[in-house]
Order: sequence, then structure tokens, then C-alpha cells
Amino acid sequence: MPSGYVGADVGCGNGKYIGVNPKLFMVGSDRSSNLISICGERGHEAMVCDGLSLPYRPQFFDFAISIAVIHHFINPERRTAAINEILRVVRVGGRVLIFVWALEQNGKREFEKDVQDVFVPWATPGQASKTKKSTSVKSPNPNSRPQGVKRKDRLKAKADQVRQDQQNEDQAQDSPDGQRSNAGESDITTSMAQLDLTGEEASKSSAKSQSDISSAVQETVVTADINGSASVQEALEPSSSLAPSPKVAPVYNRYYHLFRKGELEDLVKETKIANVVQQGYDRDNWWCIVEKTSN
Amino acid sequence: MRLITHNMLQCHVKGCNANNFPLDFQDVSLEQQEAELNEDFLRNMLGKIEYGALVATCLKLNITDLPSTMPADANTNEEFLQALHRVMLETHVISGKMVCPNCSHIYIIRDGIPNMLLAEHEV
Repeated sequence: MPSGYVGADVGCGNGKYIGVNPKLFMVGSDRSSNLISICGERGHEAMVCDGLSLPYRPQFFDFAISIAVIHHFINPERRTAAINEILRVVRVGGRVLIFVWALEQNGKREFEKDVQDVFVPWATPGQASKTKKSTSVKSPNPNSRPQGVKRKDRLKAKADQVRQDQQNEDQAQDSPDGQRSNAGESDITTSMAQLDLTGEEASKSSAKSQSDISSAVQETVVTADINGSASVQEALEPSSSLAPSPKVAPVYNRYYHLFRKGELEDLVKETKIANVVQQGYDRDNWWCIVEKTSN
Repeated sequence: MRLITHNMLQCHVKGCNANNFPLDFQDVSLEQQEAELNEDFLRNMLGKIEYGALVATCLKLNITDLPSTMPADANTNEEFLQALHRVMLETHVISGKMVCPNCSHIYIIRDGIPNMLLAEHEV
């Protein structure tokens, strides 16, 4: 990007990409006021806002980025709407970089094969660092199937609010490289460590020390259709059925749609006002660079 | 929030599509914070900002650094670019409200951060 370009980071989280190039001026927005507070402390320009309704004048920006955001929207309509809203505020000829989690990923995260809609526990930094020490991510216990939750009881239209402020204490943000970066030091592997740690392992851990780990880990695999009419709010509630102690900090689940190869490009094509000019796969993510062709 | 950002913002309440810019500042507290000047950025902004709205907003905040119309030589006018920099990038709104001139929706600014979230029925 040329010096002096102005860009929007939509779903900027803690603002890790905002200051990357000091020759650019970037404005961040995120649904989570806690994450935006971190941006503010870092001196970044940022505001609290929902990605489906941005408060910017049309075509103001030279470019925009959407890093690990679109996969949190609950259905294809909302995912397309999110892309459309970004394109609305970018000028014709402007470019948008989009990263989403891939279904085909074979990194550290473990997902049920071919299941595209999943809940992933979002650990608070405190829990995460403790978990990290006690669990090997590379050798998950295959028998430890996390407790499933019937999706129709769980899923509602507000899935894309998964990143909202209920994740109190949270300071983390997903990043395309699979690392979880935040004001602290936890990374995404710790959240997967929690995912793997259930049943017997969890009991052992909690026997060692109740605060050692949250055994209230819960993975919700969404296998049925996504009609956007149930409540994800519920999925955000701390799971308590396995909790050995009320002292255990809650674990919140976040909704992800894991993108198949080509799916992101198809969404972009649906907007009819942008072309994919570059695309690829990078460490568990599909990404593409999109150029706006008309208003 | 820097004043440049205010110039990007419009009310986005559902159905509020006209006369929704600029948002009207109320009960505002300001702070000056030094920032590095980037002439490329300022020149790029010349074609993007709504200059009239910027000047009117500044006057309301008792900032009188900017001429009422953009100089014809704005691109190369060092003095003007510096004033623009001072106003748009170094002037921060720490707290206050932004009120939509059309629908009167109020957006709160706290700790320098505007909350542009809408309620369910406003989206």
C-alpha cells in the first residue's frame, strides 16, 4: 500500500494489525468494547461497532482488512452481508484482504472431519497459560470426546455476536497464523489444548489442583443446518456440567464456520461488485485479496 | 478519537439515510497529542474529507486554525497542511457525544473511544 493510504480494519480485535505499517492510517472497529479498549491504550484509532453495519461514509477507504472475522458469522447470507458492508466503505479500485479459517486445515487444531460449523472454547488468558503447561496439544486423547450440545438448543441469529463483551477478561484475538495474540501471552494452541482435555485427563488435572485447569471445557459441534434462528448467546454461557468447582473460571464458546476451498471466493463473487485478484492458503486459513470494481 | 475520524462517520441507524452527516458534537472534551506528520496522507485526505463539515465542526469546538475554504494550492501549501495535521490528527476527542442531525441518535465517546453500536431495532 502506498504511503498515506487510509484503511479500515473491520473486526480488528486488540488492534494487532493496525500499527503494522506506520505510513498508513488505519481505523479499527470491533464488536467487543474490551478489545477496543486495548486498541485505545495502544494509541490506535478504533471504535466499537458491528461489522454488519459500519458507521463510515461510503467509499471513504483506500483499502480494508478482515482478518479472522467472516468465519464468525452464522450463515452464508450474513457472511456475504459482512463482505458487502466492507466493500461499501471502500472506494472503487480499493482492495480488501480477507482471512478465514479453513476446513482443510491440518495444523494443531482438531476438528471433526467435514464439519464446517463448530464452537471453539475461548479461554481467558489466565486459564490458557495454566492449561498450556499441563497438556500436550500434539497427542490428544482420542477417547476424550468433548460433550456435545444439540445445536437447535444453542444456535440463534446472534451468532455473530459471539465476540461480544461477554468474553469478559478476554484480551485475545485470533490471527490468521493460528497464533493467539493478546496483551498477555496465550495462543490458540492453548484453547485447543483445552478442547482436547476432557474426561479422565480433566479429572486428573483438577484433582491435582482445582485451579489448574477448567474442566468445564465444552465443544459444540454443529452438525445440522444453520437456519440462524437459535441462540448462540446460550453457547456463550459458561458450561457447568463438568465443572468440579464453582471456582473454575468459565469457558466461552465461539462460533466458527470453517471455509471449504473456494467458498470464500464464491461469497465474494456473490457481491457482484468485486473481483478476487489473489488467493491462497496460509497456515490453516484461506485468504483472498479482493478488488472493488463498482458501487 | 481524532477529528479526522469524525469526518468519516455518518449515522447508520436503519432508515437514516439523509442529512446524517456530520454528527454534531456535544459536551466534548479535547486533548492535543503530538503525531508524526505524513504529507502523503494529508494530500490523500484532501480528496476524501468533507472540508466544509470539518471547518464547521472545528468552529463549534472553538478551533479556528483552518481557513473557511480550502486553499487552491492545498497540495503544496505547507502552512495549510500543518494546520490540517494539527486539527485532524493531533486533536483528540476524549469524551462527549455525537448527535445525528437527522434522527437525533446519540453516540457516546468515552476514554477517546466512540461507541457506534446500535440497538437491535436500529440496525
